Amino acid sequence: MARILIVEDDRDLNNAYSIILKNEGHEVVEAYDGQEALAKLKDFSPDLILLDLLMPIMGGLEFLQHYDLLKTHADVKVLIFTNMENSPEVNEAYKLGAHRCIIKSWTAPHNLARVISDALKTKPKPAKTKATKPKA
Amino acid sequence: MPRSKTSSLSPNRSTFEQQAEAEALFTSIGDGAISTDEFGRITRVNPVAQDILGYSETELIGEWFPKKIIAITSDDIPVNLIDRPITKAFLTGRSISEKMYYRRKNGEKVPVSISVSPILLEGKPLGAVEVFRDITLEEEVDRMKSEFISLASHQLRTPLSAIKTYSHMLVDGYMGDITPTQKKSLRTIISGANRMNELISTLLNITRIESGTIAVTLRMVQLERTIDDVIKEVSMMAADKSISIELKNESQASISIKTDALILKEIITNLVSNAVKYTPENGSVTITTLQRGADVLITVSDTGWGIPLQSQDQIFSKFFRAPNIVMRETTGTGLGLYLVKGLVDTLGGSISFKSREGTGTTFYLTLPRTPKRKSTKSTRRTVTTA
Repeated sequence: MARILIVEDDRDLNNAYSIILKNEGHEVVEAYDGQEALAKLKDFSPDLILLDLLMPIMGGLEFLQHYDLLKTHADVKVLIFTNMENSPEVNEAYKLGAHRCIIKSWTAPHNLARVISDALKTKPKPAKTKATKPKA
Repeated sequence: MPRSKTSSLSPNRSTFEQQAEAEALFTSIGDGAISTDEFGRITRVNPVAQDILGYSETELIGEWFPKKIIAITSDDIPVNLIDRPITKAFLTGRSISEKMYYRRKNGEKVPVSISVSPILLEGKPLGAVEVFRDITLEEEVDRMKSEFISLASHQLRTPLSAIKTYSHMLVDGYMGDITPTQKKSLRTIISGANRMNELISTLLNITRIESGTIAVTLRMVQLERTIDDVIKEVSMMAADKSISIELKNESQASISIKTDALILKEIITNLVSNAVKYTPENGSVTITTLQRGADVLITVSDTGWGIPLQSQDQIFSKFFRAPNIVMRETTGTGLGLYLVKGLVDTLGGSISFKSREGTGTTFYLTLPRTPKRKSTKSTRRTVTTA
């Protein structure tokens, strides 16, 4: 089972995804904006991040820029969970290393569990540069 | 006594009078206007062109147009001489209209809509007239419209997502056991939410297609998997009418194509749900896939009510609903196939159909396995590869 970080500002949805994923046996941590997610990532190393795009304080795209997914966390899968289908924001998220985009309002709980299971099975993208330097 | 018409070609008017009239006409044009001789040297500039470009008349007259008036792309790359509208107008002898950016004298970039016409005498170019318009405001309105669409999409769907997710969780037993009657009621809620979701999706996609702001993300998509997902989504609607849905891959191996997964799914969902919706009870829907050279062919056939012959040329029109369908199905916007056509065009494919009233309909959807990248000159469609 995997370690999953949910970053979603809508508390009802965040709670629902948390229930569904915990029910599948995953270890789940919740954050309600990008800034809170970055703070939680100091103590939690996820296999997968379920990321909303439009959030207050720090949105999903800004989070991806700070998290530096492509360079330093290439082994972490980021699933964009948004309602902004076919939008330039989704394209931007792919450029920043997102694995897949899922439309929230189309996705039933059993499909969410399947999409996450599929994403976890895929091989990580090769890192563009080496990971952070080991501490001296 | 009727008054005779006068024109600049009147033999009674002097050359000076005709020149003065042409000068007044040129000066009074509300857009920027520049004329050149047969070598592309600027011969006349109106005040609006001077305002847009920031150059005075004396700075422009006699200069070689393509060198003095610098055209650039949105990425600040200079437009090649061969790609400049004025060059094309000279080379083809036809009027050319395009959008690009001009560099003002102070270095600023200004978006312009350009129209150039060659001045021809017995087929030989004597010069050209370029009329151009500052479209900064239009671009800003387009950008705001696009932002509004994204925001509206998000805001309308957020409450729907909560309704659907929690309803599904109740049905799936995440909150404990529920009675069959409660389950049926929840399925009605989910069905209503799905219809609302479809409507939002349709309206937003149509707006994006019409404004040229639909984003296309190319990635490898397994065709059967996408169609399976669609079948699962419409299976409840099909089961209610005892309609069977079958998928046949007529190729030897599974088919993968490079396309936008969400747009492809939207197209197939529309075609399959239409087939189920417009087929009477105990009918069947068959979906086939076939790899054919550089393309894939997807067919969606039903044993439904069919499209009347007299309506067949209007089937992809906006808001059109065939009369035999309006009689039977009161729900429907007449936007589904209009959207499908727009989305298929966006993916560089084509769609056609054969139908006989009372027998059924087959839609033939052809998509490239690897789409050719389209020029971004005439559209602001965003294409990326994931």
